[in-house]
Amino acid sequence: MTDSFLWIGLTNVVQPINIAAIVMGTLIGMFVGAMPGLSATMAIALLLPLTFSFEPATGLAMLASLYLSAMYGGSIAAILLRTPGTPAAAATVIDGYPMAQAGKAGKALGYSLTASLIGGIVSSIVLLTVAPMLGRLVLNFGPVEIFAIAVLGITIIGSLSQGSAVLGLMSGALGLLISMIGMDPTTGTPRFTFGNLNLFGGVEFTVALIGLFSIPQAIRLMMGGDTQTSSRISNVRDRMLPTAIEFVKMLPNSIRSAGIGVATGLIPGTGGDTASWFAYNEAKRFSRNKAAFGTGHPAGIVAPEAANNSVVGGALIPTISLGIPGSSSTAVLMGGLMVHGILPGPTLMTDHGDVTYTLLWAVLFANVALFAVGMLFTRACVSVTKIPNRVVGPVIVVLSIIGAYALNNSIFEIWLMLGFGLFGFVLDACKIPTPPLVIGLILGPVLDTSLEQSLLIGQGNWMIFLQSPISAVLLGIAFLSILQATPLFSWLGGLRRRSAGASESEVDSRKTHG
Amino acid sequence: MRKLLSTAAIALAIGASAPAVAVAQGYDAASEVTVLMGFKAGGGSDALAQLVQPFLAEELGVSFVNQYMPGATGAIAWTRLAKQVKPDGETISITNTPMLMTNYIMNDTITYNISELTPLANIVTDPGIAVVAADSPYQTFADLMEAAEANPGAVTVGNSGIGGDDFFTTVAFERTAGVKFQKVPFQGDGPSWTAAMGGQIDASFNNVGITFPQVEAGNLRALVVFAEERLAELPDVPTAKELGYDVVAGSSRGYSAPAGFPEEARTQLVEGLRRVTENPEFQAAAAAQAMNIDFIGGDDYTAFLQAQEKTFTEVWNEVKDDVQSN
Repeated sequence: MTDSFLWIGLTNVVQPINIAAIVMGTLIGMFVGAMPGLSATMAIALLLPLTFSFEPATGLAMLASLYLSAMYGGSIAAILLRTPGTPAAAATVIDGYPMAQAGKAGKALGYSLTASLIGGIVSSIVLLTVAPMLGRLVLNFGPVEIFAIAVLGITIIGSLSQGSAVLGLMSGALGLLISMIGMDPTTGTPRFTFGNLNLFGGVEFTVALIGLFSIPQAIRLMMGGDTQTSSRISNVRDRMLPTAIEFVKMLPNSIRSAGIGVATGLIPGTGGDTASWFAYNEAKRFSRNKAAFGTGHPAGIVAPEAANNSVVGGALIPTISLGIPGSSSTAVLMGGLMVHGILPGPTLMTDHGDVTYTLLWAVLFANVALFAVGMLFTRACVSVTKIPNRVVGPVIVVLSIIGAYALNNSIFEIWLMLGFGLFGFVLDACKIPTPPLVIGLILGPVLDTSLEQSLLIGQGNWMIFLQSPISAVLLGIAFLSILQATPLFSWLGGLRRRSAGASESEVDSRKTHG
Repeated sequence: MRKLLSTAAIALAIGASAPAVAVAQGYDAASEVTVLMGFKAGGGSDALAQLVQPFLAEELGVSFVNQYMPGATGAIAWTRLAKQVKPDGETISITNTPMLMTNYIMNDTITYNISELTPLANIVTDPGIAVVAADSPYQTFADLMEAAEANPGAVTVGNSGIGGDDFFTTVAFERTAGVKFQKVPFQGDGPSWTAAMGGQIDASFNNVGITFPQVEAGNLRALVVFAEERLAELPDVPTAKELGYDVVAGSSRGYSAPAGFPEEARTQLVEGLRRVTENPEFQAAAAAQAMNIDFIGGDDYTAFLQAQEKTFTEVWNEVKDDVQSN
């Protein structure tokens, strides 16, 4: 049964209309991805009504390709302008921008594009083969397990706060505090809202992110002037794609990151924004050259980009096998199914197998389309580095304002974004790292909600976190990561060496005395 | 991009109406009506707008433009509707119950109330339902009640969030039946039934339209529905009333305008909406999306909202200390 759907889906997807829909979706996705504030979720929601007149499979193929290519699009602005186009590209800034600064913007984007392709292909293969089996796994992740994942995520702060652990922790704590603004998810009580209705829903993560990254960057560009422009310009004609050796080198990292992406996408409540940080952290942990991270290291671009593209496939797994959306974008995509009279649920793989498998194949084909479109589009983008800083700076500010407004059509959020911009500038001036703050903002609401829910379920007993095997293991790993960031391990190592040395000298002394 | 939406809606309306049926009754107050949306594009309110407005545009010969102002569970859009929008017939809003009332009942900072609105009509109601996992030991609602009575506060019951319909259904039920559940709020209906299906909680108080595909597929078991009568799609599931608990609840969505709305415009909109809900094409489209049509027009809708406001205020006053001390 499934086999025949697999073939029906493939023959459906290669129809010219569907291929055209995929290319169209890819183009739109890359554009909204590259623009800060315009998100894939928003574009999918706005384009849904347009797809009503299409066949269900065609409309969905277009929307899924849009979702996928927005993940790559986000890295364009992250690498060229130090402004992540989507929340999922925030981690790409850390190594992507320094690489572009070194005059290798094309190369950085090439790494991002290739990693996106690998991530996307890995997750498509997972989708087409084992999706129904993995779907059931999602049900094992309740509030208790999600809390443990969030705790594990928080420990990433340790590895991101190079230089000063204290400043990193402070930044992370600030992020957590800001994420507490708004109505308490369990009691409905407004917190830190100062009676302002606009804050009841909390600080929109994307608004904070746009402010924190783009405004300080715009200020720097405008104040810095055009002094070192010549070194910054990247040659458009440069080789974009990695060489064979570079490709082989990035492969293990890409596949590991893709695995992280699929797993993170699978779990409801965590998406591309979380996956890219997890992948970045693991790439660093596995790397022999940890000091290179943050200075334009290819692995620092490859990890988050492979992860955020593979999230698409991961997030679709529970969506198609059970009707549980794995992310906000897939939730909107499910709305698209309903319009066509397909109720999202377990029947997607059986009664509507033809539509579902066309969608899955479309995700795979969209990766190829993304790679082709990306190659053309990106060359044009690299010329951004030729534009003088004094022009780029104000353009970033304008785009940020449009982006902040477009999210919820709210003037208040423009001011909020600018406020975060100034805050980010101050943080930069004080050499306080922003990435831990971003982690705090992403995971704060997850921690808050899942902790309260777990304690309600466990009747207030904290042991509930150790009674679930998944949660106990995850918390154990988190504990080890914390210890890793402290001097404990090196101290223990030193102690062992010293005690070994001591016993030897004891033997020696006994010998002399004896 | 909002233009894009309305163009699509018009295109759809034209497509559906060819050859154009003579417009029976028009709308005189405006040629373009803005619909304030309190939730993001792609959500449940948006689904209703996308379903109703193409038909309504055809009925009344006007175009509808959605303006999304999400935030504070709809309160930003509804505050604007009540306090700032001119009652000139050019702006209306989709109003969801119980959120429309529970927003201001629960938070003093939210200052609008339904007396500042002109309710037009309710369009759909999704009745409440209690579901458990397929492998749950609770075969019937009586089993669940037995466990709750034996161990007050030990049976965990999920809801879609604190101010949402499922939370109030649970509280109203607890009051009627004299039992106590451990209520667990989730971020929406989906996470709530997912947790029940995964066995993290004992049951989920949810909505029929949302859980039906899972019940049909045998992943969830429906124990009781909070409707007046048994539902056609779930003929074997008893109503709470049958079991002796007088609780009828659900989540409803309709349209409202600001207070002082012109009487003629109100009548035209209400009658237009009535004709839409009687249109077999609309009924088929709604059924395909598992939307349960529940038309309550004009003053009846006002009375419906007032009755709900009264119930929710009572319920909240009784439980708020308990909830907020958590």
